[in-house]
Amino acid sequence: MILSSPFAKKPNSVTAVMLWVIAASLPGLAALIYFFGIGVLINISIASITALATEALILRIRKRPISATLMDGSALLTAWLIGLALPPLLPWWMTILGTSFAIVFAKQVYGGLGNNLFNPAMVAYVLLLISFPVEMTAWIPPAELAGQTLSFADTFSYIFTGTSSQGYDINSIRQGVDGFTMATPLDHVKTELSQGYRTQEIKAHEMMTGLSGIGWQWVNLGFLFGGVILLFRKVAAWQIPAGVLLGILGMSLILNVLNPDAYLSPTFHWFAGATMMGAFFIATDPVTASTTKKGRWLFGLGIGIITVLIRTFGGYPDAIAFAVLLMNMTVPMLDYYTQPRTYGHAKTKGVSNE
Amino acid sequence: MERSSYPSEIPIFEFPGGIHPKENKQLSNQSPIAKLPLAKELVINLKGQAGNRSIPCVEIGEQVLKGQLIAKSDGIFSSYQHAPTSGKIIAIEKRPIAHTSGLEDFCIVLSADGEEQWVELSPAKDFTTLSRKQILARIFESGIVGLGGASFPSHIKLQREDGIDTLIINAAECEPYISCDDRLLQDNTDEILKGAQIISHLYKDLKIIVGIEDNKPNAIEALKAARTKLEMTFDIAVVATKYPSGGEKQLIQLITGKEVTHGKLPADLGLVMHNVATCFAIYEAIIQGKPITDRVVTLTGKACGKPGNYRVPIGTPIKHLLQSTDTAKSQKLIMGGPMMGFEIQSIDAGIVKATNCIIMADNNELKPEQSSLPCIRCGECMNACPASLLPQQLYWHAKADEFDKTEEYNLFDCIECGACAYVCPSDIPLVQYYRYAKSNIRNNRVEKIKADNARERHEARLERIERVKLEKAEKHRKAAEARRKAAEASGQADAKKAAVAAALARVQAKKEANQKSDHEASNSQQADKTKEPKA
Repeated sequence: MILSSPFAKKPNSVTAVMLWVIAASLPGLAALIYFFGIGVLINISIASITALATEALILRIRKRPISATLMDGSALLTAWLIGLALPPLLPWWMTILGTSFAIVFAKQVYGGLGNNLFNPAMVAYVLLLISFPVEMTAWIPPAELAGQTLSFADTFSYIFTGTSSQGYDINSIRQGVDGFTMATPLDHVKTELSQGYRTQEIKAHEMMTGLSGIGWQWVNLGFLFGGVILLFRKVAAWQIPAGVLLGILGMSLILNVLNPDAYLSPTFHWFAGATMMGAFFIATDPVTASTTKKGRWLFGLGIGIITVLIRTFGGYPDAIAFAVLLMNMTVPMLDYYTQPRTYGHAKTKGVSNE
Repeated sequence: MERSSYPSEIPIFEFPGGIHPKENKQLSNQSPIAKLPLAKELVINLKGQAGNRSIPCVEIGEQVLKGQLIAKSDGIFSSYQHAPTSGKIIAIEKRPIAHTSGLEDFCIVLSADGEEQWVELSPAKDFTTLSRKQILARIFESGIVGLGGASFPSHIKLQREDGIDTLIINAAECEPYISCDDRLLQDNTDEILKGAQIISHLYKDLKIIVGIEDNKPNAIEALKAARTKLEMTFDIAVVATKYPSGGEKQLIQLITGKEVTHGKLPADLGLVMHNVATCFAIYEAIIQGKPITDRVVTLTGKACGKPGNYRVPIGTPIKHLLQSTDTAKSQKLIMGGPMMGFEIQSIDAGIVKATNCIIMADNNELKPEQSSLPCIRCGECMNACPASLLPQQLYWHAKADEFDKTEEYNLFDCIECGACAYVCPSDIPLVQYYRYAKSNIRNNRVEKIKADNARERHEARLERIERVKLEKAEKHRKAAEARRKAAEASGQADAKKAAVAAALARVQAKKEANQKSDHEASNSQQADKTKEPKA
């Protein structure tokens, strides 16, 4: 075979990109484990095994090379992100269902890596969220507030049998020291606001301390830290997380200024729920994001704005997954209308042609 | 690699994208330009320049002297070629040429006699006495083409006179490995600058700017020293080392901050750009009267036994270069740089005027052959593209044979620098896809012209058939008319007789009409044949 130029190659590979993303998620993962126990690790393990097995099966059916494709690391990364996003005590079969659905219907059906329109991890998340809303919002309280500590055996038992090793159901572990069932801060805010409380009163609750509540602020800071590493390594396009955070800032600032009693502050939005993980690890999936510089800004801004709107006015406490999927749909259009101006040309082509 | 601390003498602008591949220049730029023993047989490729083949003007068996004209320009778009050494023409035939697909083409084969005997030269010690026309003629007759790699005939580039105010000497040499311009700048500084003076004289004094990357500190020092010595004025534009700063459009952008408008030429910005080796060749052609018989070639690579820069006669077979540099085994031979060069398919091929470098690579020096992964749309290629294209979209559409889409994404603004493929994490040979799309589009254009011609011919034929049919009908009508009149004239005295006469007349008319139309049809067919355009 005659090779054509260039003959020089930067040492750079898809696998390395995928592994960097996994590595950069470690600070966030550490925070999740610290506050919410090792359930997340079990989720990641279940998801990883499911993803690799499903991908291998589909590749076999599609008569594509199996080991070489599995080695690209993309299935593992999808599984990893699903594992990070799921509640720590989610029943095992839900994780398997979501992950295999993501690999088959969000990735392989489109033709595998590089061809999918929607972010596979978020497809899994949304599938599970709308199918099993109770389980998917059953986050346990952060360790500091929990009425009882969660042992490894209990975690295992909850995930695989639905009850603790002593036979308690999941609601017992979800109770705080005061005996009330704990929700996530975003969940809590939503419920309280609907009952007519003002944001100031809501924030007085013990779990709402800090930037965005105990535990959650550290999880977000962890993902922010890892995300910044990704940007420095140029693994992720910086315009996307910048757009997401700016979109959240802008939208929440407008609402907050209009009525600070009814709408949360930008800081809270930034560090609550899945914001940082979404901005740096989910939205930056290159396959399903816009590829032009302007397009990436718009893509990120859109996610940020939609997230705040759904969190504020929608039925779900968090909205990163919906926002990402909605913006995924706009990518072909964004790419077309945001072409850069080519050297020696007066205008950008996509716009002037239409 | 070492960087010059000398600041640029004029402000430098930026160009988008670009990459920083491993430079590997120190392999070859440490010692002055040297010579290698002469090859026994030189293979001079008649298509050794951009454009058309040169036309041989020597016969097999003829004795030639070094510098003697052996092939002429086709008068449209090609250049003169001269005997690189003295000896005998032993063949004019198809030989393997230095080509990316290992093609064969017509070459003049010269058996060297080892005397290196020059033809009589006519040096012009003082070029200022020569007219523009005289200098251009001499550049043309000396077979000078752009020696930076494109080998575009220089006299064509120098033709346009109005509006030119600046000469940029391209000394960027941004491709890894190559150091022939770097060495020439150090070893023949005065000659290069005098060559630049000759070009400047062609336009009645141009502003001269030398554009050079900061990885050539010694060359920059040499330029400064020679400027003082020759009492010349020019600016040294030191640009940061970044590939492809030496691309014509990119260097213009770096030095002037302007872009060459799509479809226009640098001359439209008042600029003319020549490579340092071309300036040197112009100096030799005018001042010494010597045509191009050799050029400086970087012989390098980890497999090369004696890496360095050498003045190599045009037509020297690559095999000879391998032998005389003690290069025993090379895994891969690249002509040109690693970014834009091509793999040499036959070591029997001779070097051409565009050959600035030959990389004799060892096993793990260059990119190994590997299968590519799917595109993950990471956009690294977009960030590396110096022309601000969307390489990944171009790839997508080229792969799907959507050539009209590739044109919409400005495929033809791609300079094939390879920066996109260099950074691609999926190892996709992107440039190969662009070349594929470009050649398909070019072919389609030719096909379209052919198809248009065929359609026009077909339509003309249909029209002709229709015309003949109408003429026939008209004749029938006239014959019938005549019959009716004849019948009327005979006063219908004998109706039966008249009916017979009419039938006879009808047969007669039909016969005549047939004959006539046959004749016409064959006539017009012939006319068609002569009209048929050359496709």
